Amino acid sequence: MRFTISREKLQEGLAAVTASIPAKTTLPVLANILVEATEKGIRLSGTDLDIAVTTEVAADVETTGAITIPAKKLSEIARELPPAPVRIAAVGEQRITLDCGRSHFKILGLPRDEFPAFPNVKFNESWRIRSGDLIKLISHTSFAVSTEESRPILNGVLWELRPEMMRMVATNGHRLAKMEMPIKSTGAPASDMIVPPKALEQIRRLFPEDEELEIAKGENHLGFRSPFTAVFTRLIEGPYPPYEQVIPKDNNRVAIADRTALTSALRRMTIIASDQTHRIRMSFNAGMLKFSVQTPDLGEANDELAVRYTGDPLDIGFNANYLLEVLRYIPTDEVRLTFKAPERAATLEPEGWADPASYLCLVMPLRLLD
Amino acid sequence: MNARRILLADADAFFVAVARMVDPEGAGKEPLLIVGGTRESRGVVCSASYEARKFGVRSAMPIARALRLCPNAMCVPVPRRACGEKSHAIRAALDRFAPVVEGASIDEWYLDLGGTEELYREPLAATAARIRERVVAETGLSVSIGGGTSKLVAKLAVERAKPKPGTGATGVHVVPAGEEEEFLRTIQLADIPLIGPRFQERLAALGMRSVPDVLQYDVPTLTQWLGEREAAWLYDRVRGIDASEVERGGDAKSISRDETFHADINDDDELARELLSLVTRAAADLRGDALTARTITVRIRDFDFKTRQAGRTLDAPVISDRIILDVARGLLAKLRAGRRVPARLIGVGLSSLAVDATADQLTFFERKDALVESDRDRLLARTVDQVRAKFGDKGILPARLID
Repeated sequence: MRFTISREKLQEGLAAVTASIPAKTTLPVLANILVEATEKGIRLSGTDLDIAVTTEVAADVETTGAITIPAKKLSEIARELPPAPVRIAAVGEQRITLDCGRSHFKILGLPRDEFPAFPNVKFNESWRIRSGDLIKLISHTSFAVSTEESRPILNGVLWELRPEMMRMVATNGHRLAKMEMPIKSTGAPASDMIVPPKALEQIRRLFPEDEELEIAKGENHLGFRSPFTAVFTRLIEGPYPPYEQVIPKDNNRVAIADRTALTSALRRMTIIASDQTHRIRMSFNAGMLKFSVQTPDLGEANDELAVRYTGDPLDIGFNANYLLEVLRYIPTDEVRLTFKAPERAATLEPEGWADPASYLCLVMPLRLLD
Repeated sequence: MNARRILLADADAFFVAVARMVDPEGAGKEPLLIVGGTRESRGVVCSASYEARKFGVRSAMPIARALRLCPNAMCVPVPRRACGEKSHAIRAALDRFAPVVEGASIDEWYLDLGGTEELYREPLAATAARIRERVVAETGLSVSIGGGTSKLVAKLAVERAKPKPGTGATGVHVVPAGEEEEFLRTIQLADIPLIGPRFQERLAALGMRSVPDVLQYDVPTLTQWLGEREAAWLYDRVRGIDASEVERGGDAKSISRDETFHADINDDDELARELLSLVTRAAADLRGDALTARTITVRIRDFDFKTRQAGRTLDAPVISDRIILDVARGLLAKLRAGRRVPARLIGVGLSSLAVDATADQLTFFERKDALVESDRDRLLARTVDQVRAKFGDKGILPARLID
C-alpha cells in the first residue's frame, strides 16, 4: 500500500471517522483506523462495535492495500503537519511510514485482518431520504431518550418509517418527544427501528442537509450512506412501549404562553427548586399562570405570567427541568400546553406552526405533596 | 502544604443518653441502664451507662449475660426513631462548622476542617471545644471530640477525650501536628482500628503488644513476619500515618433491621411474619431518610449461631414495602431451603442507597415486571408514611402484624 494525499483531505477524512473510535477499549484494534487504498482513492473506517463510520477521500494511489493505524496518533500527526502533500506507505503488515515535507514518521499498526467486519446491510432495498429531514427529526426528539441502563429499550429513538411519512419518538418514561413529517413514497417496506442516539448524532454530524441518503436495514443493523460516507449502527431490539396509548386524547384545559417568557419564569423558579427533584408548582387560572416553589432548608419563590387559559383552574407539579428541556425545542414563539388533571400527562406543542412536520411533547407531572 | 485538620465527634453513650431523654422519669433516673431490649429479650446490649459498664457490661453482649453481671440494671429497648432524629440533629450542628462531614455511624462523624484556618483563627482544639458546646446547646447531647492530622489519630484521640468519671478528660483531645508519633507511643495495638483479636494474637506471638513494640522494627523485618501488605500498613499506622480522606456524605451506606427472637423459630409462617415486620420498619426508615435502595439482603442466624445471608440487587431503585418484601421473601426461602433449622435471628438490610430524586415523578409506562415499582406502589408507601406521621408508628400496619 502506497499513496499520496493532501494534508487537508487527510484531515477531513480523519475528522469524519475518529468520532466513532471508542475512547477506551479492551480490544486494541478498535483504537485504530482502518486505512484501505483502492483504485478510487482511500477509504478510512472506524468502529466501536456498536457504530461504524466509513468514508472515502481522494488520493493518488500507487499500490493498493490496507492496514490499521492508531487513530489518535494519526489525527494528532495530521493536525501538526506542514502544508504539503502527505505520502503514506505500508512497510509489511503492521507498520507505516508517513512523510510530509521534511517530517518523517514510522508508526506501528495492526494487520487489517484484525479489524472487525462491517455489518452486513444490503442497500438493494433501501429508503431514500433527504438528510435535512432526518436531521430535523433527530434534533427534535433524541434529547428525550433515557440514559438509565435499567431499561435499554428507552435508550434508543423509535423511528417509524411508512410509505408516506416517517416519525421519531423518544422518551425516558417521564417526558416524551414525537415528531413526524410526510415523505415521498420510497417503495421500501414499512419498518419500525430503535436506533441508539449516538448513531443519530453521527448522522447529524456527517451528512450535509441537502444530501440524499440511502438507508437500509440488515438483520439487526441499520446502514446510512451517501456517495462517499456510510454509517452503520446496531439496532436496539424491541418492542418499544406502546407510546400512542399515553398520548392524551381528552385534555380539556388549554394554555397558550409566550415561550421565552415561560422559559424565563421557569428558570427563575429552578434556582430555588430542590436540586434533586426540581419540583415546582404551577397554578393555572383564567388569564394567569402562577408559579411557586418551596424547598425545605432553602426557601421559596413565586412568579406570575399572563397566559391565555381555558378550562377549570388547575394546580399541577412538575420537574421544571423537564419543561425547560422541551421548551428549548419548541420551534415557535408561542407554546400550547394542555392538561386533564394533576396526575395526568401534559402536552406541549408549537402554536401556529406553518410546517409540514408536526411536533408533540409530553411531560408527566410530579405528585404535589400537601 | 498545611497539616490536615481532622476531628472525630463521637456522641457520649449515645443510645443511653437518648433513652434517658425519651423517658426522663424512668430511664432518666436510673444510673444502671442497659439499652438493647427488655429484661426478657434475647437481644444484645446496644449500649450501657458508664455505671453499668463498671460491672463489666459491654456492647454486643447478650442481655441475659449482662444481667448476670449487673442484676439490678434497668433494660430498655433502643428508641430507634428518637436516635435517628437526634443523630440528624447532631450532624446538622456539625455541618455548620466543617466543610466536609462524613457520618461514620449513627453516633460518630469525621469532620475535615481543612481550609478553615483563616476563618476560625484559633487552635483546632479551641474550635473543637466550641463545636462541642454548640452540639450540647442545640441537641441536649454531649459529644467528645478527638483531633489530629489523620482520621486514625482523631479516632484514637477521641478515646482520650471522653469525660469518663475519674479520668479528668474534658471532652476534647487534639494531637498537634508533629506530635503523632509521641502520641501513638502511648497506644496499645489492640486500640488501633482494624487490628482485631486474630491479628492481635499474631502480633503478640511476635512480642508486639504496644505501639513502641512495633516502632523498633523496620519494614523489611516486619515484612518477613507479616507479609508485604500488612507490614506496610502497620508501619504507617504506628506512626500515625493514615492518608484516607474524610468523604462528604457518607451517611448510612445501608439500613438494616434485625430481630433476635424470644425463642428460636422454626415455623416458616412465623418467620415470614417476622420478616414482614422487619421489612415494614426498614422500608419506613428508608423513606424517612428520603433514600432509595437497590440491594436487599436477608440475614439469618441459626440456633447454633451459624449466620448466613443472601442478597439481590434490582435494576431500578425502590422505596416501597411491596417490592422489598417480595425480594426478601424469596431470599429467606432460599436461605431456609439451604438449611432448615430453628432460627435465632433474622435481619433485613437495604443498601446501594441513593437520594430519592424521582419519588413523586409520575411515569408513562407502568412496567408489568413484578420487581419494578409502580406509581401505585409509591403512592401507597407515601400515604402509609403520612398516616404514621399523624397517628404514630403503629397508626397503620400490615394486618398480619396486628397482635
